[in-house]
Amino acid sequence: MELLIIPSLFALAALVIPRNFMRYFGLAGGVTSAVVAIVHAVYYAPTAKYVSLFDPNWTSTFGLTYKMGYDGISLIMVVLTNVITLLILLSNFNKELASNKMFTAMVFFMQVALIGVFTSMDGLLFYIFWEITLIPVFLIALWFGAPGRKQALIKFFIYTFVGSLAMLLALMAIKTGICGNLPAASFAVEDLMAVQLSACSACWIFGGFLFAFAVKIPLFPFHTWQPDTYTNSPMAGTMLLSALMLKMALYGMIRWMIPLAPESLESYKLPIIILGTIGVVYAAILAIKQNDIKRTFAFASISHVGLIAAGIVLLNVDATMGVFVQMINHSLVAVGLFLAVDIIESRTGIRSMSELGGIAKQAPKFAFWFGVVALASISVPLTSGFIGEFLLIRGVYSYNWIIGLVIGSTLVYGAVYTLRAYQLSMYGPSKNFNFPDLTWNEWLVFFILMVLIVILGVYPQLVIDFVQPSVTRLFENIHSSKILVQ
Amino acid sequence: MSIQQLVPLILLFPLIGGIINGIFGKKLPKALVGSLATLASTLSFATALMVFFHLNEPVKIHLFRMIDLEDLRLSASLLADNLSLWMVLIITGIGSLIHLFSMGYMKHDEGYSKFFTYLNLFIFAMLILVLGSNYFMLFFGWEGVGICSYFLIGFHYSDAEKGMLNGIAARKAFIMNRIGDLGLLIGLFLILSQFGTLEYQELANMVTVDKILGTPWMMFGITMCLFIGATGKSAQIPLFTWLPDAMAGPTPVSALIHAATMVTAGIFLVVRSNFFFEHAPMTQEIMLYIGLATSLVAAFIAMRQNDIKKVLAYSTVSQLGLLFVALGMGAYTAAIFHVTTHAFFKALLFLGSGSVIHAMSDEQDMRKMGGLRKKIPLTHLTFLIGTLAITGFPLLSGFFSKDEIVGHAFSHNVVIYGILMFSILLTAIYMFRMYFVVFFGSFRGTHEQEHHVHEGPASMTLPLVILAILSIFGGLLNLPGIWLKGQAHWLSHHLEHNTGGLNLIEAEHADNGITLMLMIIAVAVCLGALVVCYLVYGKKQNVPVADAELSGWQKISANKLYIDEIYNFLFVRPTEWLSVVGHKFIEIMFLNGIILGFAKGIGASGELVKKWQTGRVNWYILWMVGGIVGLIVYYLVKI
Repeated sequence: MELLIIPSLFALAALVIPRNFMRYFGLAGGVTSAVVAIVHAVYYAPTAKYVSLFDPNWTSTFGLTYKMGYDGISLIMVVLTNVITLLILLSNFNKELASNKMFTAMVFFMQVALIGVFTSMDGLLFYIFWEITLIPVFLIALWFGAPGRKQALIKFFIYTFVGSLAMLLALMAIKTGICGNLPAASFAVEDLMAVQLSACSACWIFGGFLFAFAVKIPLFPFHTWQPDTYTNSPMAGTMLLSALMLKMALYGMIRWMIPLAPESLESYKLPIIILGTIGVVYAAILAIKQNDIKRTFAFASISHVGLIAAGIVLLNVDATMGVFVQMINHSLVAVGLFLAVDIIESRTGIRSMSELGGIAKQAPKFAFWFGVVALASISVPLTSGFIGEFLLIRGVYSYNWIIGLVIGSTLVYGAVYTLRAYQLSMYGPSKNFNFPDLTWNEWLVFFILMVLIVILGVYPQLVIDFVQPSVTRLFENIHSSKILVQ
Repeated sequence: MSIQQLVPLILLFPLIGGIINGIFGKKLPKALVGSLATLASTLSFATALMVFFHLNEPVKIHLFRMIDLEDLRLSASLLADNLSLWMVLIITGIGSLIHLFSMGYMKHDEGYSKFFTYLNLFIFAMLILVLGSNYFMLFFGWEGVGICSYFLIGFHYSDAEKGMLNGIAARKAFIMNRIGDLGLLIGLFLILSQFGTLEYQELANMVTVDKILGTPWMMFGITMCLFIGATGKSAQIPLFTWLPDAMAGPTPVSALIHAATMVTAGIFLVVRSNFFFEHAPMTQEIMLYIGLATSLVAAFIAMRQNDIKKVLAYSTVSQLGLLFVALGMGAYTAAIFHVTTHAFFKALLFLGSGSVIHAMSDEQDMRKMGGLRKKIPLTHLTFLIGTLAITGFPLLSGFFSKDEIVGHAFSHNVVIYGILMFSILLTAIYMFRMYFVVFFGSFRGTHEQEHHVHEGPASMTLPLVILAILSIFGGLLNLPGIWLKGQAHWLSHHLEHNTGGLNLIEAEHADNGITLMLMIIAVAVCLGALVVCYLVYGKKQNVPVADAELSGWQKISANKLYIDEIYNFLFVRPTEWLSVVGHKFIEIMFLNGIILGFAKGIGASGELVKKWQTGRVNWYILWMVGGIVGLIVYYLVKI
């Protein structure tokens, strides 16, 4: 329970801490919750066992049970959340923003909501936390974002809100029964899974979840809110959106969408894989000629997650391991790339690549670390990106070799737009702006990122051993609780 | 120490050297940085030699498990057998000499420590590539050398004039290699799906001993994918245009990566996978013709290049083509022999050209050189030896290694033999042309350059001398069976001894008379080119004219057959067009337009209905439901 309580306390305390101490306070909070999560992970022997965090053993009149807990799948997302939150706080440490009490409070608020999403074992509770995450990320972008943010944020809000309502309807449908299925006893995950759905209701329910998740991931063609929102949010907002918020949707697909309505998986599988593939290629091609460096990486993110989404619906343990490695890699890379973009923007005031250039000469340390993250982004061996994409492309390839070939082109396109962005901004003779090299906190963020990226790239078994038993058990449960329609 | 412990050490030295120089290099004195890197590479070489003399059977060294899944087990492990160790000796041996050369060549460069860091890391990645015991490890090294190559081609990225161009050349190399890598990756998936493992030894056993084979189409698919990977790294048609551009990197890099080691990775891959290729005759055939075409095209382009490094680059592409011809005929050991001698003389030629460029204050255009014979005599002598070796001058290393491949071609198909000889003739012509233009005639550079011309320091001349000696005597490694039956083909016998699936295939022309005839033809080609080039460029002192004055085939050759322009037109432009148009029309107008229209629709309908509705919220939900219905309606209809 301390997983949730600690960041909640920090979020509340942030409102009363004096401005001078705020950034140290924020950092302390980030470190504390990261350490707590890691201690949980160390004590959690990878046996797929379920650890309960909170269970009042009581069902409210409309079925809410308040059940919270974690297995390997949830715990790794919690650890990811806390580590990334720490990195976000650390990235902002030298900025004005770090002394702002509302900002610090909102980051911790976001952390609470995310942990809630990942540890909810009750459908309605999951939905509530899911919706709560919108508030801090929206407010961070609204209060601290770029001048043109209003329109982008309205689009973002409407889009995700509508998506979420679809998920709520789907949950209601299982609970109360449509198309003739029996109502579930409560919103607890095991009760929801126990419901035998008719083909018709499974289709509705799967579709409702899918719409919510497809918007959040975002899956082509539901992605148009993403580049505008990313580019108009401040660095912390972009990082929260790309490194953590979209992982909620990927997690949701594994934990909720497929287990609750696996009857429909077969009919949705191919369309989702095709949408993922289109997204991979389409976003990559659009990224090639972008001039705004942040927008380039926003499209890069769309391109990368398409592959992950395709890997999830394969419902195969090997590919799912790729999903987890790649999710972690995507978070690390997103933090690194958007930090690099922010370093460039805050030092030069420019994001347009045609005006940038020559930074490597002025700031060689920054050039090196940005380079490392860029390499992880294009899946070079020895980085976690390679392991993730290797497993995922292999999974898709064994499902259908033509789609595998098309989706594999991400290896080529990724190199095209990432190296282009890197070279246009870093290479060439020095331009007439002064570019101080990394501060210690920026350096530390990059250093931690590199350590994690390389560890996962060389020894991915670390993550695999942690998640695999839980995934295997989850898949067994899906198969045993439902009579799958072949 | 046992072999089990020694082999990881070979890998460890350059890695440690790279890490130390990478972290502390900027603060250390230059001499120490260079010596450290050179020492790391040399220690690797010494260790490899120790293993080489004690290795009797293939040794597999398991390091750790990387991925352990239901139907996918990949481990980080090494395989030391005669093939991998032979490659290790070439890489670390030539690598050490080039490290030594770079200590002098890069002396005044501000990125000195960075350069040696990359060089050491390159050696490390290359060693992983050849020493890995499975295709997964090979892929790690394969992409690793690509990355090092990328950084080294774009090494002078902050140069005022050429910085961006260097970067573009580096990117081109990386992307073209990535296309090949994707092919290789698919090849790995195919092998996994067919055989369930990526370990060389297990695969070789399955295919050669247990005779477990896929369908012919499967074997074709596997080998074609591997070959596509090889065309990327070893610069074959259609993915060869990156290699000449890669000359933007410092010259020692061109010598090490783009001539002696990395570009032969494709050859190594095919030789390593020989057991697959033996069961895919169609791929062998394709490989043969691609190699033949590449060899011819590159030699043709090299005829009218005037940048001394570009000539050597196209020559490398051409020689690699020759190697694929050998592989296509199944002459694996002959290919490795030529890889070895080519590493000697091409590294020598590149370092020699580096010495020339160094002496000429960074001038690369041979039209502005001339008469360097007397000014830098040692460079001249070693360059001459390299030129003679590559053109197949009798009794030098290239003579024997080329002859072996040509002999195979003759017994395979006389037409192929003829085309190959024509390409060899072209090679001799453009090499001698370059030699005479650079070293004969009168000096054509500026007065300042003339004043400045000098021989490099000992660290630059010593590698030249060693490589020259190797280029002369390298042929002894694998003498033809013409006079000494028993002692001949030492290298081939050595390689087949304990390498999975590898067998020495003797050309069918083992008859002494025919061998002698082929040798005489080869000698005549080489000497004929020598005499003609001497008369045209040496004695008459003709200087190649400016590109604008060329016409006919010369213009086409000088413009590299317009292949870059064709690729631009076919692939680059359409993709960029798609990117711009896609963003403008699909993304902004269509997809975003739908959302905006949707929002406006809500607004407008809100205006409409607010007279009789209490608020917009209900309407919102109604629209939302409509959206969901739209999304799912297809499935409803289906069910």
